[in-house]
Amino acid sequence: MEQPDSVIHQPVRLKIMAALKALPHGEAIEFVRLKAIVGATEGNLGAHITTLEDAGYVAVQKDFLGKRPRTRVSMTPQGRRAFDAYVAYLQEIIGMATPS
Amino acid sequence: MSLSSEEAQASLSQVEEASRRSSQLYFYHRSSPHLIMWGIIWIIGYGGTGLFPHYGNQLWLGLIVIGCTGGVLLSRCHKTDGVVGGPYAWRMGALWAVILFFVFATYAIMQPHFARQFCAYPALITGCVYMAIGLWRGLRYVISGAVVVALTLVGFYYIQPIFFWFAVVGGGAMILTGLWFRTV
Repeated sequence: MEQPDSVIHQPVRLKIMAALKALPHGEAIEFVRLKAIVGATEGNLGAHITTLEDAGYVAVQKDFLGKRPRTRVSMTPQGRRAFDAYVAYLQEIIGMATPS
Repeated sequence: MSLSSEEAQASLSQVEEASRRSSQLYFYHRSSPHLIMWGIIWIIGYGGTGLFPHYGNQLWLGLIVIGCTGGVLLSRCHKTDGVVGGPYAWRMGALWAVILFFVFATYAIMQPHFARQFCAYPALITGCVYMAIGLWRGLRYVISGAVVVALTLVGFYYIQPIFFWFAVVGGGAMILTGLWFRTV
């Protein structure tokens, strides 16, 4: 069996990817909302998002909503493929362990 | 690096939970402006009908057209991948059109005898629709629907003048629900 994607394998990054995958295609999620879903601290979440961004799995957009700065994160097509592959990998492990 | 089946199962559970929560919050966030808009419409509609009862039908007809058009426009303001509309573009306006069609079709075949019946029925239906949506899309909808239904029944049985009760409490509850849905 091939090795899992080490970028997605980390639990917080896995949750980030799952949260992004649940959105309609092309939608972005605000940083504060992602923080509530993942349950990570701001600094921790920021570091994991940077790792995912460096791998090309997520895109980060920063803008202003009125005077308030806003950070939004979305999944790239490459990230979508990697996440699908990782979930398939997990399902394969469970499938192998389950007697037919 | 290899995983046991228990670890893989735990990871998949985490994926499922994060997906469920993400899509729930997304739905809340997208519903919010629609609820605020309809709350304002309720305040104007019920308040206006209470002040000018003879013009109630015309007022509501105009407000319903504004509400349904506004629902579609609000959805179209949202851009997904640069595409106007997104997956809920027409559904939010259409949902209210279906509710209102049902209410007025019911009035046509079973005419209400009292003003309080005319007032309470749409609010009761709206509350029940919220609760039904909440069974699939999240607890906040169930709570909001239950509050609207409870306030409607309190107003129906105990409050006079009924129109102003529905204007302030019904419309206010919808606006507060919309604001609540915006919080994370």
